[in-house]
Amino acid sequence: MNGPVWLLARRNLLRSRVRFVASIGGVALALSLVLALNAIVDGVSAQLTSYIDQSGADVWVAQTGVRNLHMAASSLPDSVVEAVRRAPGVAQASPILYATETISANGQRKIAYVIGLPSDTTMGLPATVRSGKAIPGRGEAVVAEDFARQAGVGVGGEVTIFGRDLRIAGISVGEGNLLNTVAFVSFDDFASVRDVAHVVSFVLVRTTPGASANAVTKAIEQSVPGVTALGRSAFAQEERQLVMAMAGDVITMMNAIGFVVGLAVVALAVYVATLAGRREYGLLKALGARGRVLYGVVLVQAGLSVAVGFLAALSFTAALGLLIPAAGLPLALSIEPASLVTVAVVATVIAGLASVLPVRQVASIDPAIVFKRGVAP
Amino acid sequence: MTGFTLEVRDVTKRYGDGPTAVSAVRGVSLAVQPGEVVLIMGPSGSGKTTLLSMMGALLSPTSGTISLDGTVISALGEGRLPEIRLRKFGFIFQDFNLLSALSVLENVAIVAELAGHKRGEAREKATQILTELGLQERLRFLPEKLSGGEKQRVAIARALVNDPALLLADEPTANLDSAIGHEIMRILRRVAKEKGRAVVIVSHDQRIRDIADRVLWLEDGEFAEAIELATDPVCGMSVERAKATTAERDGATLFFCSRGCRAEFLGQLPTDGIDPASA
Ligand SMILES: Nc1ncnc2c1ncn2[C@@H]1O[C@H](COP(=O)(O)OP(=O)(O)O)[C@@H](O)[C@H]1O
Ligand SMILES: [Mg+2]
Repeated sequence: MNGPVWLLARRNLLRSRVRFVASIGGVALALSLVLALNAIVDGVSAQLTSYIDQSGADVWVAQTGVRNLHMAASSLPDSVVEAVRRAPGVAQASPILYATETISANGQRKIAYVIGLPSDTTMGLPATVRSGKAIPGRGEAVVAEDFARQAGVGVGGEVTIFGRDLRIAGISVGEGNLLNTVAFVSFDDFASVRDVAHVVSFVLVRTTPGASANAVTKAIEQSVPGVTALGRSAFAQEERQLVMAMAGDVITMMNAIGFVVGLAVVALAVYVATLAGRREYGLLKALGARGRVLYGVVLVQAGLSVAVGFLAALSFTAALGLLIPAAGLPLALSIEPASLVTVAVVATVIAGLASVLPVRQVASIDPAIVFKRGVAP
Repeated sequence: MTGFTLEVRDVTKRYGDGPTAVSAVRGVSLAVQPGEVVLIMGPSGSGKTTLLSMMGALLSPTSGTISLDGTVISALGEGRLPEIRLRKFGFIFQDFNLLSALSVLENVAIVAELAGHKRGEAREKATQILTELGLQERLRFLPEKLSGGEKQRVAIARALVNDPALLLADEPTANLDSAIGHEIMRILRRVAKEKGRAVVIVSHDQRIRDIADRVLWLEDGEFAEAIELATDPVCGMSVERAKATTAERDGATLFFCSRGCRAEFLGQLPTDGIDPASA
């Protein structure tokens, strides 16, 4: 009984332009909306912690109670760096200074995580440098590419940070996000401008090979008073939760609305396409097709529509993910397997229901009646 | 396939209920034997399609029984009916009703596949029948590319592919011009006589009376016995002599379906249909 079902489903989809456009086109469009929004939300969420993720530190040490970067004020005496170095499992420890500040260049202003870097550090520096150097000297700054592009400045240009004009010595890639950019200055400039001597904000720690981040955080908190230590992923997780709680409501809401609207369109597209073929399902029944053949045909059609539409939507989203950064927008789309699976499963179930509804009636009444009602004007 | 009888006993069909109910067929009985061509005639709305649909297990009667070879098919549940529709009856619809997305060959073969034949076997059977009906050049065509006569021949092939005992045809020539219509009728008669099938044809086309072994006249949902029919010389419709408008010419009585036809026949209306006074 599979032969006729597959034949009819395939032919119906491919040979009838209305059904093809309505079901596959409609489904592809709707799923593109859903997948693109998901990718944007996941991308924004992942980008929020890109500086932390790429810092090279396995453990972040902060003033007691500070568990993330955004809007945090952490201040530790610089003697803590030595104390952390002596803790078991610590291979390297190096401090950064940190503040959230407005930076400007050519009249372009943006909120930035400003990081003060010691000249010899191997952690917390820009992960990828497009041009120039990674660690700024005195009077210098390294800024992110998206900010530099918006402001129209490059290496050798000027940027104002903490009210001081600094020469741009390097352009970094990949640390900024939708909400703020990241700028690097020298540790000494940061300390003198902010008038904070013998103080650090965070201590970044690289653990010895084989040591677990968890064990090292415990060891640090035990041996160094007045600090909170968190593994990199825990620290990033705290950061993401805090920022999404502050700024993410709108994004989450937008995503939820997009999801509902998108799936409603999927349902509608499949419903309309099935309804358009109702008369022929009545005919099939009159010819002697059983109910399960009718259901099989519409379900396979719905499944094919979702499969083809989903692939089209995925290609669209992947293309968008390449185009958006290329256009200089500080937005990286992230296609997460978990959200792909969710969308695919929900869309398949919804499309299945939407295709069965119009046929249920056909299957339950005398075929002669379907005809009479179905006659085109 | 010989020896079957389709028996319709005291069958009534009412559409809807309450004051708006329509009794489309009222207490009709008839039996159809193998090899017989039965023609059911009657004016539009007299219940012909309703009766034929019930005979073909496409519609359940409100009361009465329809039995085939002693099995009361009108009492069977929806679970058993697909088998009967597939194997016992071949239904030919007025407006062809081919599946628009399938080719000619697929339209016929799919019905054989639904009856359990393998795809190759089904295609072979379909090709053979379509060839017999002169459609060998059209196997890969979509229905929209066919003429009306070709579509109806495909529909006949589809009705025949599972070798049914009965062929039921609802106004099979209504959408065809008369030469093609006659060809279709000849095919249907051949189908009945060669393989001992019964063919029941619904029509109000007077010109096909001669192919039938038996003609029944349905009116207001009931068979009217011994009605004398005549053909309206203007529109060609069958009319009941007792109720028709008449005119005398050359000593013969002529019968018309309406005053309009009579007037036209008598030359009282301009034949081109344009009234010169209003032009
Ligand atoms: N599905 C239906 N619902 C309600 N009334 C119907 C339906 N089908 C037919 N009828 C009515 O039943 C009567 C007989 O219809 P039908 O069997 O189609 O006649 P015929 O085929 O002779 O023109 C008509 O009055 C028609 O309006
Ligand atoms: Mg009719």
